[in-house]
Amino acid sequence: MDETVIKLDNVTVRFRIPHEKIPTFREYAIRWIKRRGVTFSHFNALDDVSFSIKKGQTVGIIGSNGAGKSTLLKVISRVIRPTEGRVFLKGRIAPLLELGAGFDYEMTGRENIFLNGAVLGFSKKNMADQIEQIVDFSGIKEFIDAPVRTYSSGMVARLGFAIATHIQPEVLIIDEILSVGDAEFQQKSTARILNYHKNGSTILIVSHNAPSIKQLCDHAIWLEHGSIKMQGDANEVVDHYSAYLHS
Amino acid sequence: MLEYDSANRPPPVIDEFIQLIRYRDLIVLLVENILKNRYKRSVLGIFWMLLNPLLQTIVLTIAFGTMFKSSLPNYAVYILSGLLAWNFITQTAQYAMSTMAYGGGLLNRIYIPRATYIVAATGNGLINLVISISSLVIIIIFLGHPITWTWLFLPVSIGILTIFVLGFALLLSTAAVFFTDTVDIYQVFIQALFFLTPIMYPPSIFPAELHQLLLLNPFITLIDIFREPIYANQIPDAALIIKATLFSLITLLTGWIVFTKRADQLAYRL
Ligand SMILES: Nc1ncnc2c1ncn2[C@@H]1O[C@H](COP(=O)(O)OP(=O)(O)O)[C@@H](O)[C@H]1O
Ligand SMILES: [Mg+2]
Repeated sequence: MDETVIKLDNVTVRFRIPHEKIPTFREYAIRWIKRRGVTFSHFNALDDVSFSIKKGQTVGIIGSNGAGKSTLLKVISRVIRPTEGRVFLKGRIAPLLELGAGFDYEMTGRENIFLNGAVLGFSKKNMADQIEQIVDFSGIKEFIDAPVRTYSSGMVARLGFAIATHIQPEVLIIDEILSVGDAEFQQKSTARILNYHKNGSTILIVSHNAPSIKQLCDHAIWLEHGSIKMQGDANEVVDHYSAYLHS
Repeated sequence: MLEYDSANRPPPVIDEFIQLIRYRDLIVLLVENILKNRYKRSVLGIFWMLLNPLLQTIVLTIAFGTMFKSSLPNYAVYILSGLLAWNFITQTAQYAMSTMAYGGGLLNRIYIPRATYIVAATGNGLINLVISISSLVIIIIFLGHPITWTWLFLPVSIGILTIFVLGFALLLSTAAVFFTDTVDIYQVFIQALFFLTPIMYPPSIFPAELHQLLLLNPFITLIDIFREPIYANQIPDAALIIKATLFSLITLLTGWIVFTKRADQLAYRL
C-alpha cells in the first residue's frame, strides 16, 4: 500500500512574458533589421517544487491567488510539460480542472457526452456503454437532448463531473470545482469522491475553502509564489495558512 | 497500468503519433461535429457547399471564358477542377491555423494530442473536397465533357494532396501560435499566389522563357496532378507524379518535425 503514485522532482514551470508588444512577424522583422532582439522576462509559476504522494492519500493544495496551484495541477495532468524537473504519475487520471472544458455549447448534452468522453481519452464504445449511467448521475434527464447552451452553469458542472468520473480513476485531480454548482451537486460529487477514495483512489484537490480541506484531506501542501511553503498534516498546514492570512 | 513520466518518454515526433492514434475517436468525432454544425445552421447547408463552387465557376467563366475559348475548351471544367484542388489546400490550412490560433484554448486546459485540431481540419477539408466533386460532375455532364477511366487515378491525386495539406497546415499552425499576424500575412500571400498559379488561365499565357521560373511554384504540380485526369482525361506522367509525391512527403515530414518539436511550448503560448 506504500506505493508512490505521484512524484515531482525539482519541477519548475517558467512562462516567458514578452516585453512591450505581442509577437508578430512584422515586429520581428523590424527588430531584426534594427539588430535588436525581442526581449522577454521570465516568470516561474512553479519554482523547484518536489513532493511525492502515495496511493490512497487525499492531498489538499492551498495558497493565495496566483500561487501556482492550477499550474501544479496542469503539470501533473500533462497539460503542460515542466520546463525543468520531472513529473511522474502512475495510473489513469481524471482531471477535473474546468468542468465543461471541451463542451460544444451548440450541441446537445448527449452529443457532448461523447465529445467530452473522447477529449478525456475514452473510446466511443465505452461512452456508448456508459451513457445511461452518466445521464442518470448528472440528473439532467429530459434536457439531455437539448443544446448545452440552454443549460444552467450548475447543469454543465453536473454533466462535466458525471462524464469525467463515470469510471473510478486511480488519481482524481480537482481544481476548485466543488465550489461551483448547486448544493445538491456539491453533495453528490463529494459523496462520489469519498466513495472513490474509500476504494483506493488518490485525490488531489485545490480549494479555497479551508474547512473542506480539513474535512476531506489527510495531507496538505501550501504553495506561495510557486514554491512550497509548508507541507504535512492537513489540519496543521491549514491552521498555519489561516494564521498567515489573518496576520 | 498507465504511466506518465515527463523525463522518460518517446521523442516528440513519435510520441505525438502514438497519442493521435490513441485519440482517434476524438478526431473522428470532431470531423463529424464540424459537418453537423455547418449543416444544422441552414436547411440549405449542403446545397450551399455545392452551390458555392458552381457560382464561382459561373462568374469566372462569364468573365474569362471567351478569352480562352480556343486554348481551353470547356473552360468551366478546367477552372472548377483547379479551384477544387486550390480550395482544398488553402481553406484547410487557413481553417487549421485559425482553430489553433483562436480556438486552441482547449489545449491549455486539458491534455489532448496537440495536432488533434489540425488533423481534424484536414479530415474536414477532405470531406468537403469529395462533396464538391459532385458539383463538378454536374457541370461536366451539363457541358458534355467526357468522363473516362482516368478518374480512377483521382484517389491517388487526392491522397498526395492530403499529405501535402496536412504538412502545410502543421507548418502554418505552428507559425500562427508564435506570430499573431500569421493569418493576415498568409491571406495576402495566398491571394498573390492564386494569380501566379494557372487556375483561371492556361500555363501557355506565360512566355516560354518564364516557364522554368513558373515551375518554382510547387502548387502548380499539385493542381496539375488533380486536374489532368479530370480535364485532360489523362494520367499525369510519371515525372509529375514523382515530383508531387516527393514535394508532399517532404512538406509533411518538415511540418511534422517542426510542429512536434514545438508542441510542448504550445500550451505555454496559447
Ligand atoms: N500561460 C501563462 N502565461 C503567463 N503566465 C501565466 C500563464 N498561466 C499562468 N500564469 C501565471 O502563473 C501564476 C500562477 O497561476 P495559477 O497556477 O493559475 O495560480 P493559482 O491557481 O494558484 O491562483 C499566476 O501569476 C499567473 O498569472
Ligand atoms: Mg487557480
